[in-house]
Amino acid sequence: MSEAPARSCSRDFPGTIEGAEDAESWVAREASALGLGPDAEFAINLCLEELFLNAVQHGRANRATISICAEPDGARVEFADDGEAFDPTKAPAKQIHARTEDFDIGGYGAGLMHKFSRRMSYRRSEGMNRLVLEFDAG
Amino acid sequence: MDMTVSQAGGEITRVVLDGRFDIQGAQEVDARFGELAEGSKALIVDLAKVSFIASLGVRTLMLSAKTLMRRGADMAVCGANENVEKVLRSTGFNEVAGLYPDFDSAARTLKERLDAFASRKA
Repeated sequence: MSEAPARSCSRDFPGTIEGAEDAESWVAREASALGLGPDAEFAINLCLEELFLNAVQHGRANRATISICAEPDGARVEFADDGEAFDPTKAPAKQIHARTEDFDIGGYGAGLMHKFSRRMSYRRSEGMNRLVLEFDAG
Repeated sequence: MDMTVSQAGGEITRVVLDGRFDIQGAQEVDARFGELAEGSKALIVDLAKVSFIASLGVRTLMLSAKTLMRRGADMAVCGANENVEKVLRSTGFNEVAGLYPDFDSAARTLKERLDAFASRKA
C-alpha cells in the first residue's frame, strides 16, 4: 500500500531577523512542495514575511510557529507568535492615494494580507497571537 | 538578488533586479538603492526578472521613491509580473512611481518629463 504524500507541515523559528529569513526559505520550499499553484505560493510567502517581521520588529516576539496545511481548494496557514497582542484583522488597510512625498514607508502589511488571502481569523490564547489565513489554490 | 546598474540615454539610470525581493534580497540591495536615489535624475527599476516581492522589497522601493521625489527627481518601475504589480498597486506605490510594462515605455515617459523640465528652466 502506498503512503499518501504529506499535506501539512509545521516548524518553530526564533524571533529574530535570521529566523524570519529561515522561515521565508522554509515557507517557499514547503508551499511549493504542496503543489498549491504559483499564485497561492506567492500569497502565502507574502503574508508570512509580513507577519514574521511584524511579530519580531513591533511585537518583540521571541519565537514563532508556522503551520501550513493543504486543503482541497487551497491552503490553511497558521502563524503563532509569543509577542505583544496584535490583531491584524482589525488593522487598517493603508494605501497611498495621491502623488505626494509625505507618504509613509511602512504600515501596508495588513492591507496586503487582506488582499492576498481569502480569509483571516485571529485569536489570542495562552499568551500567543494565533492568526489563521486561508488561501485559494491557483 | 542580483542588481545591475547602467546609464541609459544619459540622465536615466536603469536598475535591473534578478531574483526574489524578499528579506535577504532587500538587504542585499538596500544600500545601493540609497546611493542611487541620492544621485540619480531619473531611476527606472526593471522588475521583469523579479519573481517575488514582499514587505521589505516594497520598503526599499518606497524609500528610493521618497528620496528621489524630495530631490525633484523621478522614478518608474517596469516589467513587474502580475503578482508583483498587484502588491505595488495594493499599497498605492503606483501613485508615487509610474508602473510600465517594459523599459522602453518607462524610459520614453521619463525622458519626456526631463525634456519638459529642461525647457522650462531654459
